[in-house]
Amino acid sequence: MIVLKRLLFGSVLMALGASGAVAQEVLLTLTGAVADGEVKLTRADLDALEWHEIATSTSVTDGQPVFRGVLMRDILDRAQASGDTVTARALNDYVIEIPMDDFHEFDVIAALYMDGIALTPRDKGPVWIVYPRDDHSVLADIRYDMRWVWQLSALHVQ
Amino acid sequence: MNRLGAHWRYAGLGALILVCLGLLVIAAANIIRIERQMQISATQNMTWIFGQTQIEALSLSAALSSDASSSEVLLRYDLLVSRLNLMRDGPQWRFLSEAGLAEGLMGWRDGLLRLDPAEGGDTAALKAHVSALTRALRQKASQVMSREWQVQSERLDELRKLHLLALAAIIGALISGAALAVLLVDRERRLMRARVDRLRAERLQRDLNRERAASEGYRRFADLIAHQVRTPLAVIDSAMHRLTRSGKPPTPEVIRAKADVSRQAVARLIRLTDTALLMARVDRGAVAPALACHDLDRIAATAIEDLQAGRRVTLRTGNRPVTAICDPVLTSEILANLLGNALLYSPTDSEIDVRPLFSGDMAMCDVCDQGSGMTPEELARAFDNFARGARHRDLPGSGLGLPLARHLARLQGGDLTLKAREGGGLIARLSLPGKVVT
Repeated sequence: MIVLKRLLFGSVLMALGASGAVAQEVLLTLTGAVADGEVKLTRADLDALEWHEIATSTSVTDGQPVFRGVLMRDILDRAQASGDTVTARALNDYVIEIPMDDFHEFDVIAALYMDGIALTPRDKGPVWIVYPRDDHSVLADIRYDMRWVWQLSALHVQ
Repeated sequence: MNRLGAHWRYAGLGALILVCLGLLVIAAANIIRIERQMQISATQNMTWIFGQTQIEALSLSAALSSDASSSEVLLRYDLLVSRLNLMRDGPQWRFLSEAGLAEGLMGWRDGLLRLDPAEGGDTAALKAHVSALTRALRQKASQVMSREWQVQSERLDELRKLHLLALAAIIGALISGAALAVLLVDRERRLMRARVDRLRAERLQRDLNRERAASEGYRRFADLIAHQVRTPLAVIDSAMHRLTRSGKPPTPEVIRAKADVSRQAVARLIRLTDTALLMARVDRGAVAPALACHDLDRIAATAIEDLQAGRRVTLRTGNRPVTAICDPVLTSEILANLLGNALLYSPTDSEIDVRPLFSGDMAMCDVCDQGSGMTPEELARAFDNFARGARHRDLPGSGLGLPLARHLARLQGGDLTLKAREGGGLIARLSLPGKVVT
């Protein structure tokens, strides 16, 4: 289900005609137990990580959209995060605590694309936490559905 | 009638088992369906989604009124659009359509997109549009909530129905299971009764056989009296008759000869009564063996000497003494009996061997003759009281010798067996608990 794709995303963005300014826009801010207390990740930073794909059903859409993005654990490793829980915050101030174990137990991704279309703040982007819901029956549960944070903007590691 | 009844009973049992299992399957299926329906999905959180949309609309209104930075206005605008987009997605849209609340919602969204501040939309018109949208949402919010509760209630109703069905199936299974148990217990009871009846019949049959054996014994006893008592009496009578005949008085030689014959006849009668008396005492349990360690070779030698038939009987002892735990008087009686039989039933010129030996931890004494032996039928009945070989009816004997000898052997913890000797004749084997002298 998860297709490993190593793409040089910068060149893809250039091909799409995106400007360098978009690539430098800060998408995620990590705070708490991370390198230097704060790490800001731009689109270019995420592009430099390994890309993964998950096709899965969700609780708020029909069918099995294909999500593309980077593994949450790769992002946390990139920021040298160490802790037990991650507090995820969305643009609308939706806040939820996610156990760090989730990211090591399952291939949870921070999705940037759904069915090949970039996620935007007007939808559920720019970043949507996506669990491989169809690969593990335990994930088809409201307790995990609540952790599918859309419009993710910040992560606080404890 | 009985077979037909059994058929019906089996059919009934089978039907009950089917009903019981079927009901349990139904119960299990319902419980599985309940389990599947127990999940909460995010779609059932429409009240929250609707509330969030209202909050975003209010936040945008506030941002527009308070001269907030354009980036803040843009963010609030994006968030409101994203919430309206969320409502447009599959499950949410179906919920709103079924509730009759979808109508007009997308009109509001399209109006909002036409006034996009990122593309220089009219701020005043946007403010008016958002205010109107806020009012419209407020009106629908309570309907969304009531619809949500209705959906939840219907789901609970469905669950309750499945639950009741499962419960009914389980109760049905319980009832049919109980009926099944009653039937099986009843069956078991019948089987038990049949078994008791069979045991009683077997006991009756055994009693009957014992009665028959007893009456057969009396018949043989009468037979014995006829042959074994009458013959010596006849001998004595004939002798007395000869001595008291009128005419010439008998010579002293004749008197002595007749007296000898009479004394032999009396001796036979005494031996017969002795045997019968001993047998009676054994039967009553009045004979208590005095068990001790004795040399079986010596007991055998004494028994042979007492018979005064030394020339025909050979004692063949082994290279070590055979010691037995026995009563020497009873053991002598047994050996005398066996030797008497061997002498009586084998030709006068044939040899008789007596062989004491050890076999395992038993001390044995074999008495082997070269007579005509016994037929298998005779061997089978040799130890019955009063049984005598048909060929030897007219030889003296009580028919009690072998049974008595076996009784005496068993009294001492041993046994007496007979088997045919290879090359003709019979081997009588007395076995007694042995004691190896070291």
